[in-house]
Amino acid sequence: MVTVGWTKSGFPSLRTSRFRVSCSAKPETVQKVCEIVKKQLALPAESELTPESKFAALGADSLDTVEIVMSLEEEFGISVEEESSQNITTVQEAADLIEKLVQKKSEA
Amino acid sequence: MASTPSKSQILSLFRSLLRTARDFSDYNIREYTKRRTIDGFRHNRHVSDPSSIAAAYSDAESQLQIARRQVIVYSLYVPKLKSVMEIKHA
Repeated sequence: MVTVGWTKSGFPSLRTSRFRVSCSAKPETVQKVCEIVKKQLALPAESELTPESKFAALGADSLDTVEIVMSLEEEFGISVEEESSQNITTVQEAADLIEKLVQKKSEA
Repeated sequence: MASTPSKSQILSLFRSLLRTARDFSDYNIREYTKRRTIDGFRHNRHVSDPSSIAAAYSDAESQLQIARRQVIVYSLYVPKLKSVMEIKHA
């Protein structure tokens, strides 16, 4: 893993590699997504959320999913397209999409 | 007139309303619009009659047009002071 020092707003000290090919998201991103999902679905703070948790399994309906995507957009300062947002069903998918958009934004 | 809107159309309208709400500079109307769309869509969640669904959908569409116009009107009269709710305390 190569340590690259660039500043990303909101992520001060992280080690990240420009050449990473795998599509796993950073744990901090996954953690933030979990927090937003918990808040939206009013889950207790101790509830265990794995990256593979499906929103529907946690009791979210389609309106909840839209609201969660909106909160993620605001939290990370990204803009999610219509088609992409319909494909988000798990925490991991959301985190991966966020990473992709944040990276695209910082490269633009 | 138009046939019953599909689920994705309804969700798309929901998203458009929330996006439009974000463009308001005034805290109060922004929060109200978000709250009202969420409440409104949840209230009509279990409506199954197609004509009621279409009526609620067109109602929401006209509200969206109103909100879009009001974003522009509100942006003309932005007050200098922000609402106290928007001040983030460290």
